[in-house]
Amino acid sequence: MLEYGFMRNALIAVLVITPLFGLLGTMIVNRKMAFFSDALGHSALTGIAVGVVFGISDTNLSMLLFAVLFALLLNYISGKSGASTDTVISVFSSCSIAIGLAILSKGGNFSRYSSLLVGDILSITREEIGYLLVIFVVAAAFFCLCFNWLLASGIHRTLARSRRIPVGLIENLFAVLVAAIVTLSIKWVGILIINALLILPAAAGRNLSENMREYHFFSILFSMFSGVTGLFVSYYTNVATGPTIVIFASILYFATYLYGQRELTGRP
Amino acid sequence: MRNKYVFTAVLLLAVALGAALFTGVYAKSQEEDENKVTVVTSFYPIYIAAINVVGDCSGLEVINLSEPQTGCLHDFQLTPEDMRLLSGAELFLVNGGGMESFLEDTAKQYPLLKIAETAAGLELSSDGHGEIHAGEDLAHTGDQGEEQTEEMSVHSGDHGEAEGNAHVWMSVGTYRRQVAAIAEQLCAIAGEYTEEMKANASAYDQKLAELEEQQAAIREAAAGSRIISFHEAYEYIAEDYGLSIGYEVDLDEERQVSAGEVADVLKSIKEDGISIIFAEELYGSGLAETVSKEADVTVCYLDTLVRGDYKPDSYLDGMQANINILQDTFGVE
Repeated sequence: MLEYGFMRNALIAVLVITPLFGLLGTMIVNRKMAFFSDALGHSALTGIAVGVVFGISDTNLSMLLFAVLFALLLNYISGKSGASTDTVISVFSSCSIAIGLAILSKGGNFSRYSSLLVGDILSITREEIGYLLVIFVVAAAFFCLCFNWLLASGIHRTLARSRRIPVGLIENLFAVLVAAIVTLSIKWVGILIINALLILPAAAGRNLSENMREYHFFSILFSMFSGVTGLFVSYYTNVATGPTIVIFASILYFATYLYGQRELTGRP
Repeated sequence: MRNKYVFTAVLLLAVALGAALFTGVYAKSQEEDENKVTVVTSFYPIYIAAINVVGDCSGLEVINLSEPQTGCLHDFQLTPEDMRLLSGAELFLVNGGGMESFLEDTAKQYPLLKIAETAAGLELSSDGHGEIHAGEDLAHTGDQGEEQTEEMSVHSGDHGEAEGNAHVWMSVGTYRRQVAAIAEQLCAIAGEYTEEMKANASAYDQKLAELEEQQAAIREAAAGSRIISFHEAYEYIAEDYGLSIGYEVDLDEERQVSAGEVADVLKSIKEDGISIIFAEELYGSGLAETVSKEADVTVCYLDTLVRGDYKPDSYLDGMQANINILQDTFGVE
């Protein structure tokens, strides 16, 4: 299968992006941000719509700009508003989907964009792999430098602030990072399931791990394994790649869940 | 602690083995016969034409890229399996004229693949009022059309940017030219079956000619009538029968209708006194029913001939059904 250029691109993209999904997933699960990353995925539709309105030909750019803006605004409002975070996210998510659908369905032509919902593996270009590599380096650097701060602010914000940790800045940087990764993967993973790739490997890793190091190790391992296996299986069975990867990630989650339950009940 | 790692290793190994086994079984069931020359067609009408020409020639295998229920290919996306199929094909028969939006990418991926556009050389209708013209150098000869096939565009690497109404198979006359062009292309890649395929094409063309004769009688009764069309494809039918289209809404899988358009249709019916609507049952029936409740119109549900089973006579049966409906509508015995 690797004699085809599009499959080589896809494999490289999977090898670059799945460790990132695993890495960021741990923090998203820890900080209970699953709904946030889901809303970010949905905002991609609006990003494309905004690009269409302003005549931006590179939809990656318009999606990225919109997603970053969306993430920062959401962080800001949920920090200020009295309403609970999930309500604010829901408001933002619904509003951005409505704007996106309204613009893209003008003239009755939404189906032109329907491939975004399930993803298209043939759409990965060399340019996008370049973007992914840049994000990979940035994300790795961010984790190396700010991991403790990020963890502390996730566990207890006030305590973190009292230790002079720039909680707001760290949270915003993390949100921007998630926005960038989600945006650049959405075309081939699909809006409907991108969140599963962030959440499932981390959730499966959490079922087995007893400390942070294990948690990250299992999450990245499961993410990469599901990605590569899903890509191969989807190629030979003619099924969309994103959903196949998610199916494998789900199998791993349920298997580790059962194992984790057994370990818990088996303990003296 | 060690148990956890052993469990993970066993789990991953088991899942990988299961996946390999599953894909192995699936891939085996999909294996193609390597001794045959593979011809890939882009969608339904082209596939039906090709299998009629190939007939029982055992050394040729015709495979359709899309599913028989896909319909028009405006937003069709190639899957990895499609790309694999095309990589092993000798010839890719397409409609052309903008119907296959993925052609440019395909030609880039496979510069050596021979792509034959069967609608090339036909001037496509583009003004929305049912005018299709055969290219001057493509005058229909009534036989197997050997003369015109020189005009068929065959590409290695790039394809024409022709845009317009690509539903050329909807006119029996132009479909006959497509069949002749397909026969010429197939003979070029499988010379040993030339006689057999020419005979098949001739027999099929004869059946199509009989349909055209029936159309002539309807044309006499219907010529000059005004209709409303709910699908771009009916422009070719209008041309075949000498009808003029008073109003057109192009309804297909990618188009939803707005309330304003319904009002426009009703206004057109009222002002122009149009009483006949051509609609496709799958996508046009909703609007057609709404309009027929509001105004006194006859709705003709005509087959756009892009869906069905893979029986060789599907086009003939579909077109015959359309002719029967039009005979009833225009009172032709």
